[in-house]
Amino acid sequence: MLKIHNRYHRYLNRTGWGFIAPALLFYLVFMLYPIGSSLFLVTQKWRGMSREFVGLGNFVRMAHDQVFWKALSHNFLFMIIQIPLMVFLAMVIAVILHQGIKRFRGIFRTIYFLPVVTSLVAYSILFRILLQTNGLLNNFLLSLRMIAEPIGWLNDPFWAKITIILALTWRWTGYNMVFFLVGLQNINKEIYEAAEVDGASQVRQFFTITLPLLTPVILFSLVTSTSGTMQLFDEPNVLTWEGGPANATMTAALYIYRQAFVLNSDFGYASALSYVMVIIAALLAFIQIKVLKERQ
Amino acid sequence: MKKGLILFLAVLMIAASFTFMGCSNKEAKAGAPQKLTVWCWDPNFNGYSMGKAVEVYKATHPDVEIEIVDVPDNIEGKIEAGLQAGGAGLPDISLFQDFIIEKFIQNYPGAFVDLKAEGIDHSQFAQYKVAPMTDGDKIYGIPFDTGSTGLFLRTDMIAAAGLNPDDYQKSMTWSEVIALGEKVKAKTGMPLIAYDNTSFDFLRIMVQSTGTQFFDKSGKVMYDTPAVKKSLAYIKEMDDKGILFMAEGWNNWVAAFNNDQSAGLMNALWIIGTLKSKPENAGKWMVVPTPLVEGVANAQAASNNGGSSWYVLSATKKKDLAVDFLKSTWAGTTPEALGFYNEILKGAGAMGTFLPSRSGSNYTAKDEFFYKSQAVYKDFSAWMEKVPVLYYTSNYTAMRTALGNAMQAMLSGNITNVDGVIEAAAAEYKQTTGN
Amino acid sequence: MAIVRRKMTPGWFILLVFFVIGALLSLFPFIWMVIGMTQNPNDVVAGKLIPGKEFALNWQKISTTYETVSFFLNSMKIAFITVILGIAVNSLAAFGFEKYPSKARDRVFGVLLLTLIIPQMAIVIPLFKEISFMKLLNTHAAIILPSVMSVFIIFFLRQNFKMFPTEIMEAARVDGAAELSIFVFIVIPTMKATFASASIYMFLTQWNSYLWPLMTILTDKMKTLPIAMFSVMRAYTIEYGGLMILVCISTFPILVLFLAMQKQFVQGLTGSVK
Repeated sequence: MLKIHNRYHRYLNRTGWGFIAPALLFYLVFMLYPIGSSLFLVTQKWRGMSREFVGLGNFVRMAHDQVFWKALSHNFLFMIIQIPLMVFLAMVIAVILHQGIKRFRGIFRTIYFLPVVTSLVAYSILFRILLQTNGLLNNFLLSLRMIAEPIGWLNDPFWAKITIILALTWRWTGYNMVFFLVGLQNINKEIYEAAEVDGASQVRQFFTITLPLLTPVILFSLVTSTSGTMQLFDEPNVLTWEGGPANATMTAALYIYRQAFVLNSDFGYASALSYVMVIIAALLAFIQIKVLKERQ
Repeated sequence: MKKGLILFLAVLMIAASFTFMGCSNKEAKAGAPQKLTVWCWDPNFNGYSMGKAVEVYKATHPDVEIEIVDVPDNIEGKIEAGLQAGGAGLPDISLFQDFIIEKFIQNYPGAFVDLKAEGIDHSQFAQYKVAPMTDGDKIYGIPFDTGSTGLFLRTDMIAAAGLNPDDYQKSMTWSEVIALGEKVKAKTGMPLIAYDNTSFDFLRIMVQSTGTQFFDKSGKVMYDTPAVKKSLAYIKEMDDKGILFMAEGWNNWVAAFNNDQSAGLMNALWIIGTLKSKPENAGKWMVVPTPLVEGVANAQAASNNGGSSWYVLSATKKKDLAVDFLKSTWAGTTPEALGFYNEILKGAGAMGTFLPSRSGSNYTAKDEFFYKSQAVYKDFSAWMEKVPVLYYTSNYTAMRTALGNAMQAMLSGNITNVDGVIEAAAAEYKQTTGN
Repeated sequence: MAIVRRKMTPGWFILLVFFVIGALLSLFPFIWMVIGMTQNPNDVVAGKLIPGKEFALNWQKISTTYETVSFFLNSMKIAFITVILGIAVNSLAAFGFEKYPSKARDRVFGVLLLTLIIPQMAIVIPLFKEISFMKLLNTHAAIILPSVMSVFIIFFLRQNFKMFPTEIMEAARVDGAAELSIFVFIVIPTMKATFASASIYMFLTQWNSYLWPLMTILTDKMKTLPIAMFSVMRAYTIEYGGLMILVCISTFPILVLFLAMQKQFVQGLTGSVK
């Protein structure tokens, strides 16, 4: 009996490996190999065809590179403020769509998904036009007397950061909303019906049923948004012109890109910067998972 | 159930094979000896111009096929990747920005064909274009277009300020321009010049008009020069006096001068196409020489912004054909070659830097779009002769990023004086380049 | 005309007002770009909201410069093949990770999650060398193959498979079903919403990808739509009206895809566990 049981276990184990084998193959060839082959670069000072061994020199250089640390601090700033805001909004919208309204559901769902579909090119141009100092938003706020003088949404180091946060929220809330919709879809309706019979209020139902059951989705949303924010590139690149004004919205990924392809073409230094980011990101993911596991 | 499984796997297999076969390597015929590939980045500008050159060449070499590929963004990164991969996927000929080529010549020795050794006479080109492509006694490229600059002014707005535009159709110093700006501002409230806060162009035009750059002879960065200081001081003065329309990026900048929010702009001749996209403004624009930076030795009323050149990559297997093609078109003195230079000026607004080509009819033609039908191309061509020789060195992009950032800080009020700008720029340059 | 399902309380009403405002904010750029197609470039940059009369002119400018149709078809082909291969490979992996638990596989999964964070540009050069070594430069396979495996999608699917009751699998095993057929015939049909959204995301990512195709594609006939958009953006004279046409062309397929998948979101697991 035990023998059969063991054999069955081995069979399941083999099946498990079989299922992930194709993905692992792709991963090895197109991800792990390129990453691994760039590992040795971190010890090189690289200019074109000439390479020079500098040991930990790139890390020493990094320690003095205030632009990189400033950029990294922006990643954290965006992460702390923007992700909770967006995940919360996404969840609320999803719940309203799923349980709150009866009509026009499909329409609202589509509308909220539109920013995800709108191409980066279009939305960056439009946001620039709306947000410029003499643009529609300032004129609107001025006419309501909500502000006394125009805000430099794109020109001022502080407001440019706010602009990035708003733009990110605008673009990605609908994206995360879909994950929550799928999660809500996968919750059995009978649980709600039972709660209804017990006379639990809507708010109570949300906190006792919906929220706990959505934990995997929240975890997913947080982890992927964090990695997305650590990789943040598009918005500061095209919306605030390569991390402007005066590096006020520079992010780590954008800086790495610029080091590799725009400023010096030093792939050694760029790789060293990337590995530092990976280490930081690993710590973050670890903490997130720990915290959420304890909550559960 | 087994059947369904087999079906599922079959679908997978088909999809997989489709991937490989459907897009398998079709460029086997690229091995044919008579085909060239050229990379450039704007199909309506340099792509169009190269297309005209191809037409000229094909008239005498009908069996040659030349494919022009539009590489819109990061052409340097793509070439860098190709060079790193031992020449894989590189074209035979590519266009490079003048300010970027020195980096490639230095970092990738032997990556380009020495065209001087191939018999091209570079003395026939504008000399300021030849300098960046020269390394010792080797000259690697063939110059394409000039970014000859000028100050574009709206005559109707000057007239609205009670002034006669004709009085200003001359070479001015920056002090005179500022005086004009103050008058226009006082009378009409209109800023004289649209300034793009996200771009380095304005300062670049000013500093280059003095014949200096941002580096010393050994390639070390040098922000602390009279030309840089004087130019920054002018920009600050204009901003303080409200003469600049502070535009946030290209679209805002275009809107500022095309939609009547400023009375002028300073840039290179390739901006004419954008001006003409607003036909309502016909007859209103005039162009005057780049204003003079006073008190700096060798300053000229001429400068350059932009401009690029053609290079043959050493990885090509068809070097002789590529060189022959460039030689008989871009450096050709046949009536056909000169004719195509004349044609691209009208068709794309691209002005070549091959000196014999400047006798073409379009170079002297009057242009109805401008005030009193000014022959603008004749003027830009004349100013081009005065553009000082320029070296960019291999750290140009890092230099301009650092200085551009410091300048933005000055214009947003976070740095209050010119010395502070220079200090901040030097600090950032040191950090981002590590030397 | 009850739009709302619940009893109207003040808090609920305020929430709904914000809900509608949010929807309007999401919709606005979309309307703007549709109007932009018909405008003169100068009206686009001025942010005008009145339709213009230059659609035909804008279309002509774009279609004579770019082989829009061929770019569109290339983008379609690349995105579709990526989705088909990607969903197959990633869903199998996610299922393997989730429903066949083992310590070793969990560690592998941890490694996968780590690399989710590596900036794409950090591996562009080595990946380019690899692709050129495989003689895949200037093929669509060069774009498709590196994006088939997606840690993001595996993660997403795995989180959703958590909600699939293992009891159903056990029941099927008792009936003698093979493991792969459990996945194909039971899991896939019951989790349509999950598969639909994973497909949309894979399609979306590949449809908009830009940097990597730009690096690996060497000829015009192999190009994709985003390359054309950036080409217009980087020109010396920017045709904003034409640009908006390209933007709309590149937006609608994903919208259609989303609408087509909508009905999957309405069905669910209901009744699968009694």
